[in-house]
Amino acid sequence: MRHLLAFGLAFALGAVAQVRHDELAKGAGDDWLTYAGTYAGWRYSPLTQVTADNAKNLVPKWVYHVPGARGLQSSPIVYQGVMYVTSTNALTAIDARTGRRVWQYSDPRAQKAGVNRGAAIWGDRVYFTTSDNYLVALDRHSGVLIFNKKFADIAMGTTSTSAPLIARGKVIVGSSGGDSGMRGFIMALSADTGETLWKTYTIPAKGEKGAETWGNLIDYGGGAAWLSGTYDPQLNTLYWTTGNPWPDYNGDVRPGDNLYTCSLLALDLETGKMKWYFQFTPHDTHDWDAQSWPVLLDTEINGKPRKAVLHANRNGFFYALDRVTGEFLRATQLIDKVTWAKGIDAKGKPIQLPNIEPTPQGNWICPSVKGATNWMGQSYNPLTGLLYVLTLEQCGMYFRSSQEPQPMKNFSGGGATEEGGQVVLRALDPKTGKRAWEYPMTGTGRMWTGTVSTAGGVIFSGDDDGHFLALNAKNGKNLWHFNLGEMLTASPVIYSVDGKQYVAVASATAVFSFGLFEPAVGVDPPVIRLRK
Amino acid sequence: MPLLAQHGRYLNDSQHPSIGKPEAIAAGAKFFGGSCTGCHGPDGGGGARGPNLVHRSLWHPLSDEAIFQVIRKGVPGTDMPPTQLTDEQTWSLVAYIHALTGPASTNVIPGDAAAGRATYWGAKAGCSGCHAVLGQGGRLAPDLSNVGGSRPIAMIRESILEPAKDLFFLGNEAATVVLKNGQTLSGVARNRSNYSLQLVDTKGILHLISMTDVKELTLSASTPMPTDYGKRLSRVELRDLLAYLATLDSRPAAEKGGK
Ligand code: HEC
Ligand code: HEC
Repeated sequence: MRHLLAFGLAFALGAVAQVRHDELAKGAGDDWLTYAGTYAGWRYSPLTQVTADNAKNLVPKWVYHVPGARGLQSSPIVYQGVMYVTSTNALTAIDARTGRRVWQYSDPRAQKAGVNRGAAIWGDRVYFTTSDNYLVALDRHSGVLIFNKKFADIAMGTTSTSAPLIARGKVIVGSSGGDSGMRGFIMALSADTGETLWKTYTIPAKGEKGAETWGNLIDYGGGAAWLSGTYDPQLNTLYWTTGNPWPDYNGDVRPGDNLYTCSLLALDLETGKMKWYFQFTPHDTHDWDAQSWPVLLDTEINGKPRKAVLHANRNGFFYALDRVTGEFLRATQLIDKVTWAKGIDAKGKPIQLPNIEPTPQGNWICPSVKGATNWMGQSYNPLTGLLYVLTLEQCGMYFRSSQEPQPMKNFSGGGATEEGGQVVLRALDPKTGKRAWEYPMTGTGRMWTGTVSTAGGVIFSGDDDGHFLALNAKNGKNLWHFNLGEMLTASPVIYSVDGKQYVAVASATAVFSFGLFEPAVGVDPPVIRLRK
Repeated sequence: MPLLAQHGRYLNDSQHPSIGKPEAIAAGAKFFGGSCTGCHGPDGGGGARGPNLVHRSLWHPLSDEAIFQVIRKGVPGTDMPPTQLTDEQTWSLVAYIHALTGPASTNVIPGDAAAGRATYWGAKAGCSGCHAVLGQGGRLAPDLSNVGGSRPIAMIRESILEPAKDLFFLGNEAATVVLKNGQTLSGVARNRSNYSLQLVDTKGILHLISMTDVKELTLSASTPMPTDYGKRLSRVELRDLLAYLATLDSRPAAEKGGK
């Protein structure tokens, strides 16, 4: 009802609600407008209808089976009661109260069919990218195509998987495909036209500063930017992470630190210029991309108030940096078993142990290639002051091949296995980097769901066996669970329509939405007249 | 358009070099115009004495090999005659029929696309009052931004000349809804059930409506697409309009990678 009234008013004023900077910067509320809910990457909702006390009354409200979907990785966005969820080369608008489809756009002619992690919204349009690097802009009401603009050539080895981030009319996209030899980049495209505004490579060109950290393979160095980043509107700075150097497992052919791979980049929103960088894993040989959310938080670290950026890295450590200067502040161990480094020194460099390189026979190293954590979203809850991170206690074999590197041929200079392992949801204190509590799961380390948390004191996430679950944000106690019947590979979101709070998550093939139990009301068939 | 992608003959494409080869398709088009349109209609969309070759191939399509044999041997006991063409000539016909079932933008469509554009956007046809192309135009009918890139030309022709034929327009129903609070909204019901209605109004604004809030819903008994374009437009206007629609492709040829 509230909805209709809002539209009625909008009509009277001759204008319809538009998503602009203020809405996006405000963060999640009734709407969930960006991949991580807030520009700071918090995956936090201020909604309080569902609480730690009543979460036991959660029930499924609807399911939408996404046609043809397998292993959905999309985190939906929601605006004014409409949910936008992406799948391979497709975007579907769903009535978020009922799960009924409103419209769908799909591009079956795309030259690659890969995963997609989500949509973005600006003005009256929703945006997503196809696997073969087109930015698609659609009218949010009707789904009509506004433009379909190519921003990169798939023949250069780059594809697109991440949700775009929109900041002040700039659509920020990145490159995927770093395991097959390409040159990673981050681009800003105009939300109005799709034109390129700037493009920043994550690997320097020959002759540029940083090129001395490479051998001859610099043109194919990798450093993919396959996860969207976060944004600080005050500093007007984007925080974007980069992937592994190429070839992944054979480091001999690329002597040096291999800048700017496995790093966090701070980029100026207007120009794309790098303000600073911080490399977590110099000369990585274990495919430990730095892709995990850079969470922006103003807090006290080592006793001093800081504008910090927190980063739980695949390499097994949890970092805090100063996000104004890039200064390293602290690193603590994220998982129990790390065998490649003794710790992180005062400058932020790993203190490496001997014999950690992949070998032709295989070398057993912890963490595994999947990493101590990965791209699954993390949640920071300002009421508990805790950051909720999915971690993986897992080791694996790392193999090296000395074959001639072949760019763009899916050649990675070796391989890796992952064996057994356990997922543990950990609550970390950003001030100290220490664990407050942990929630161990049953499974084999196959889930990829992140967390979301609310002002109602609840964390939503997935077990490592297909259950969707709610935990108490204070102490990690299990409150509720629901078996979705398939693995979770995407992160949940929170929204509200007509005064009712929902939590939604994509499973492998469907989107589920949950809310508090209400008795059903029988409905008479509607009165329908036909007009000739 | 899912049908083509899922069930189309892309699944059992033959490896014959004529398929997809522009010269072969052009040669096939010539033969087809000379010997086949009399029965199968222009662009294979069906005629007085022969079936629609395009629709036929959307579901359980014949393989290219089988089409070759039909053309060579005919279908005994029916009007479909055998032919006396060489292998190469016959393959060019197969290549042409194959192309006809593909998106219109991949075929050479006769007509003046510039004149067709003027017709499309002009008052006489009034297409843009309902349809949008790259965001320009109405929101009450399917988006035509990619109609050439997704539909065979025969299907586009049929959509314009015989829009009421398939009686399937759920998702495109013209709807007027009177709410219990007295408000009236008109537009298109993009989806509806006994419980909810997703309506895009005449201004292109989406309304999510609960059917318990609805007093009365009035729906069009037939497709909202006008059914008189066969009379309203001249043959030349229609030809040019089709040539224009065939150019509407969300992946312009220049951007597409090599085949
Ligand atoms: C005299 C009318 C006539 C002419 C001329 C004609 N056809 Fe046919 N065609 C038919 C009829 C009738 C059928 C349906 C036969 C049946 O019932 O299976 C048919 C069937 C076909 C089919 C098989 C369709 C299917 O999916 O089963 C193909 C392909 C075909 N014709 C191609 C051609 C081509 C190419 C030409 C020109 C060289 C041509 N036809 C000329 C009448 C004609
Ligand atoms: C009064 C509104 C209206 C006008 C004017 C109109 N159309 Fe349509 N058109 C529709 C609707 C509604 C549909 C969907 C019909 C259905 O599903 O049965 C449609 C369907 C179509 C389709 C099929 C689309 C698809 O996705 O397969 C084409 C092509 C088309 N129209 C072209 C035209 C052209 C060209 C004109 C102008 C000559 C035109 N239309 C004028 C309402 C309109």
